[in-house]
Amino acid sequence: MIEAVERRRIVVCCGAGGVGKTTVSAGLGLGLAHRGARTVVVTIDPARRLATALGMEGLADEPRRVPAEPGLGGAELWALQLDAKATFDRLIAREAPTPEARDRILENRIYRHLSGAVAGAQDYMAVERLHELVDEGSFDTIVLDTPPSQNALDFLDAPARITRFIEGRALRLLLRPPLPGAGLGRRVLAAGTGTAFSLLQRLTGAQLMRDLSDFLAAFDGMYDGFAARAKAINALLRSPESGFVVVAAPDSESIGQAVALGRRLDDDGYPLAGLVLNRVHPLPPGGLAQPEALAPALAAAGAPEPASLAERAAASQREEQILALRDLDAREALAGALEGAPVTEVPSFEREPVELEGLGDVAAALAVAGRAQRAASTPS
Amino acid sequence: MLGKGGVGKSTVSAALGLAAARAGKRSLLIEVAGQNRLSRLFRGAEVGHEAPAQLAPRLFGVQVDVEYAIEEYLTGQLKVRPLVELLTRSRAFHTFAAAAPGLPELVTVGKIWTYAVALREDRRPVWDQLVVDCPATGHGVALLETAGNVEEIAGGGPIRDQAARIQEVVSHPAATGIAIVARPEELAISEAVEAAEALRERGLPVAAAVLNGVRGDRFRPDEEPALAGLAATADGPPSRAAAAALRHLAGQRADEGYRRRLAEGTRLPLIELPELVRRRFDLAALEELSGALAGAVSRNGRP
Repeated sequence: MIEAVERRRIVVCCGAGGVGKTTVSAGLGLGLAHRGARTVVVTIDPARRLATALGMEGLADEPRRVPAEPGLGGAELWALQLDAKATFDRLIAREAPTPEARDRILENRIYRHLSGAVAGAQDYMAVERLHELVDEGSFDTIVLDTPPSQNALDFLDAPARITRFIEGRALRLLLRPPLPGAGLGRRVLAAGTGTAFSLLQRLTGAQLMRDLSDFLAAFDGMYDGFAARAKAINALLRSPESGFVVVAAPDSESIGQAVALGRRLDDDGYPLAGLVLNRVHPLPPGGLAQPEALAPALAAAGAPEPASLAERAAASQREEQILALRDLDAREALAGALEGAPVTEVPSFEREPVELEGLGDVAAALAVAGRAQRAASTPS
Repeated sequence: MLGKGGVGKSTVSAALGLAAARAGKRSLLIEVAGQNRLSRLFRGAEVGHEAPAQLAPRLFGVQVDVEYAIEEYLTGQLKVRPLVELLTRSRAFHTFAAAAPGLPELVTVGKIWTYAVALREDRRPVWDQLVVDCPATGHGVALLETAGNVEEIAGGGPIRDQAARIQEVVSHPAATGIAIVARPEELAISEAVEAAEALRERGLPVAAAVLNGVRGDRFRPDEEPALAGLAATADGPPSRAAAAALRHLAGQRADEGYRRRLAEGTRLPLIELPELVRRRFDLAALEELSGALAGAVSRNGRP
């Protein structure tokens, strides 16, 4: 997998929540850094121990270099944790035509809720932060761990959503009735939408509509800048300079989502670099021990209650086999579903990879080239 | 039910709904994230967003669809269908919907609220219990706090008043109990601890923590030497069984640490659910989990 994304400027890890995107992102980042690329991993919400391993304490909106450890050699790995509110504030500061316009937005009540609380803002800001890092140009590769969202691709649509909202021409027109001197066309349009406006106002009350009007008015003159940024980053994400990695866990639901995600990426022209099947339980070699055969062996090893212990040990061995079979089912379901996309497996580690050492194991698993998939319809 | 993606929120929600229904409560499972898990878990059931579908005796399921709920809300407010169509077809409305922060969340929580306060003809509640399967932590917290935010930013007007009525139910500990679901894993535990803190800060009634997928105390520490001894012998089924047992023992010990961190970090009553190792998670597994949940809740008192 690492080879498949090497020399791409942007690597985007996506997938359903809980499949281990953050760990895979960090593992990919580590692997790429080892191969000499100056790499930054943009994490969204890392666990504290992972954050510590990556040298981040608390919110670190600027990239920080992961402390060099023996395992890291001279590789340059950097990490940052997305701060959606700070990113949004910077974007406003950059795009606002005047300091007054900037302050009007930053102090607006609706903006404060929009930038802080609303979940979709995080999607948009992940893309915006990516844009900033590309512009700064100080990294060979940027690995983006995508935010948890109901739809794993929400973040791709986020820039378009936000520009549509900033645009808000129709609403702005209704919120600011045209002056008597305005052209006939504009007055006719305003009369037509007047009914919709009065209906909305009946529901929301005048205050909210006034605040909204102020808010949208404050964005005057910023639309072009927002639209240009959204377009530029979208073009970059669709170019061969980017690579999307879909992460899945070995259960049927996660596999279904990963396949849907891979297809959608492909259909929409985003370069799919491959899939990662995370936390796979290997099939244990050989057969299962029979409790009757196990008990004497445990007695010989000094077990206090060999018969009961044998039953329980056999149960543990059986469970490992069940997990391995479940994961085989998942592998089968994934094989051939996305033609041409290689699948790389990361085993389930006994200890969760939240330290640099564990991430090294993840990177090593990711370094193995993915199995190219056989085509679904043509048996080889 | 709130928690990180992948911790089994939907499964635990369904298990709780099933346990409540078995205990005689007319229960409604509400799917918010729209992943249609209920239809998959209860084979043959078609859970949609228009009306609750029956899943088991006294157990029903429904999805919340934002667009449908908005239209339903507008119809209730404006009374006249053509007016609703005029509004939903206007560009101004769509811009408003995109710009009004938290509107989808408000409509979602508003729809849940209508189920919560629905009354039968004899003035008794239609539902004894609602189990809401929330989206992943951040989105879930946003959902629960949204009515409070709207109440704050909307100034005056009907929406503000409705938001206040919704928030009264969501934030009242006698009406609502938020359970934070976690798995014995690093990220899930720290997210659960942070969620408990965030919910308390916002004055939301967080009631219990659920630790899902706990590896049972299958082995005792005094059995370790014999297992280690056998695992070190020549490779074969017996030594591999001993190695598997040792891995379980290590997991058991790790889970003990996670259990402590979750209980101490969230300062909540802890409900533990066993890890069910299945090739496929089916209705039989759900029933087993539901039984375990009922047992854990009765041991813990009302969560």
